[in-house]
Amino acid sequence: MDTLSSLMPGEAGMVVSIDLGSFTCKLLSLGILPKSRVIMVRRSPFGDAYYIKIENYQMAVRKSEADTIFIRKLL
Amino acid sequence: MSIKTNFRIGIIGNPNSGKSSLFNFLTGLKQDVSNFPGVTIDKRSGTYITKSNQEIELIDLPGTYSVFPNSIEEKIVINILTNESNPFYPDLIVYVADITQLERHLLFATQLIDLGFPMIFVLNMADLVEGKVLNINTSVLSDYLQSVVLVTSVRNGINLITLAESIDDNVTNLRIRPEHKIYELPQKEKDTILRIKEQLNLKSTYLAKLDAHHYQWLSHLTNNQKTLITGIIGKTSFIDIRSQVEEIMERYRDYGPIVKQTVSIPYNANKTATDKIDKWITNRFFGPIFFFAIMLFVFQSIFNWAKVPMDIIEKSFVYASSHLNDTLPASWFSDLITNGLLPGLAGVLVFIPQIAILFFLIAILEETGYMSRVVYMFDGLLQKFGMNGRSMVSLISSAACAIPAIMSARTISNPKERLITIMVSPLISCSARLPVYAVLIGFVVPSTTVFGFLNAQGLAFMGLYLLGILAVLVSGYIFKFIIKSESPSFLMMELPNYKPPLWKNVFITVKEKVFSFIGGAGKIIVFISIILWFLASFGPGNSLKNAEKSASVLSDSLRLSQSERNNLIAAYRLEESYIGKSGKLIEPLISPLGFDWKIGIAIITSFAAREVFVGTMSTIYSIGSDNDTKTVREKMADEIRPGTNQKLYDVKTSMALLVFYVFAMQCMSTLAITKKETNSWKWPIVQFLFMGALAYMGSYLAYHIF
Repeated sequence: MDTLSSLMPGEAGMVVSIDLGSFTCKLLSLGILPKSRVIMVRRSPFGDAYYIKIENYQMAVRKSEADTIFIRKLL
Repeated sequence: MSIKTNFRIGIIGNPNSGKSSLFNFLTGLKQDVSNFPGVTIDKRSGTYITKSNQEIELIDLPGTYSVFPNSIEEKIVINILTNESNPFYPDLIVYVADITQLERHLLFATQLIDLGFPMIFVLNMADLVEGKVLNINTSVLSDYLQSVVLVTSVRNGINLITLAESIDDNVTNLRIRPEHKIYELPQKEKDTILRIKEQLNLKSTYLAKLDAHHYQWLSHLTNNQKTLITGIIGKTSFIDIRSQVEEIMERYRDYGPIVKQTVSIPYNANKTATDKIDKWITNRFFGPIFFFAIMLFVFQSIFNWAKVPMDIIEKSFVYASSHLNDTLPASWFSDLITNGLLPGLAGVLVFIPQIAILFFLIAILEETGYMSRVVYMFDGLLQKFGMNGRSMVSLISSAACAIPAIMSARTISNPKERLITIMVSPLISCSARLPVYAVLIGFVVPSTTVFGFLNAQGLAFMGLYLLGILAVLVSGYIFKFIIKSESPSFLMMELPNYKPPLWKNVFITVKEKVFSFIGGAGKIIVFISIILWFLASFGPGNSLKNAEKSASVLSDSLRLSQSERNNLIAAYRLEESYIGKSGKLIEPLISPLGFDWKIGIAIITSFAAREVFVGTMSTIYSIGSDNDTKTVREKMADEIRPGTNQKLYDVKTSMALLVFYVFAMQCMSTLAITKKETNSWKWPIVQFLFMGALAYMGSYLAYHIF
């Protein structure tokens, strides 16, 4: 399945599941939940972090964090 | 007159909920910042006075997302909230949630209700964009939480009086809510949790669940209780993280409909102001350029705006010192005041304008939301060097002073990244190095123009800053492999909407930083100045008397004027004092770098504060008083290396000395702060040694290259 990291800037996806790990609770409490709509807005200057949009707010995540979030691409 | 009470209110909420603004509103300027016992996490408390003149203690607890913590700060909050006998345990919680983020911000509140706290739930319009029409209905939420729900806007002063009334009402007749459970334990966990509740004799079931999750680090549990919990859990299939995740999901599912009935925000497909700004500001290419432009502006402002107040502070100390010199009877005590204590105080106070301006500008960048963009942009780069995006704030602050920089490393949650940030920050050239650079660059670099518009000396200044930055990256890279850490490192964070700064918040931050600088560095600088004064004013046996005598004889034979004679005596006395002796003692150690014992003295005295170098040089070269026409720079420039007719401050030596000042850890106050922040003697010692080694090798190289 695709992860959040596979989205190109401008693409959107719907969260399907999150890998169980030490970040999971933090991701959930930040509002990244199954069925949330995520938009990949842009990548950071050094390429290691993503600027994403969820519902009505913005977040920054590292690639390693985005790799634990599985999504279905939305067209 | 107000009456003191034991009542305590905790202001709690997620980060970026407007929690601290509300705290600032309720307490005014009656705030006190200290540390939580044993850890260097800011504890902000203040006093709130009710209508009936009762004094209530208000605590602004660090922003927290849930009872399942990810940082030291969040762990402190959970330690407080799970222990009724904790000295900061609140009687009432004022929970602040951003109205536009209710779904996320409600999570922690429901957990606190399950812990049994009385609560006033505040829906704050932190940065409500104009034109966004909200339909708000608080009654459903109020029923769900069994608590008062209020809609306020701290920024626009809406409904704050109602909030105050509600607090007053709760203080006078605190309603004990009948146990109200929002979260029902899943069947498979019930046995385990209820057994813990029974065995530990706990009031709430949910508290038993938290004990089960966090027993390893909860500070109020005794070893016996921990063994008891381990025993109970060991016999079941209770899986820690899975249970936490299931709980969070269940809560979201349960209150989802409540959120929808409380606030409806019409969906707006248009780009918001934040979207439009971030398109440029966080752009992969323009973002970093914009950041460097802002930094350039920040440093220009520090040096331009601070110049006048710094001059005033310096001049008033010179005036006070000479005035006291004339009026006080000559004794060692008046000498201690005029030549030890006053210059020491001046050395502290002179940095306040720069620190205040730097933190004024940084506070604005934080308040508007820009700083979190900086963290996002530079996280990837700094991770390669053992730090994270948050370290950028410390590194920027270091250019003014390493002390507040090391203190700002507190916001870094990973202990390894925080430690590396603390260790390398002092390598950034701070403002105390500037006067030293200015004097020495004068010997090495002519004030000519290169490429038609750049000043060669200005370029040299820039080179020294770059050398410091390079050292930060290299040593960060090395520390990354030396320091071990188990804790996971993460970035995930909100990028809050841009908003105009609240000036009250900015002002309070600046005030806090300045006071912590005075408290942290001030005492040590003054203390060291007094020791140095002692070492420079006394010598073994009769050596000082003899030095005075031979200087008098010499000046008689040279027919020097009165002031020249005084200066010569001062120079001879310094040479024979304890400090002069120690300068000579370390001469063999520093002669490979091209330094003589006079430079040795200056290096030793620099430990109080680096800029003392210039003052010491002026004493050694016996100038500084009355009618002397030669400046310290000219005197130093004339100095001849003994036994040769080469200039002592030739390019080689000056370069070596410059490199030495870029790298060396010559600041007692910074070491003291490192000790305080890392809570160990090990790290300041490591810091002193690695920076010293870097300085020694760097100077050696510079001396042999040039």
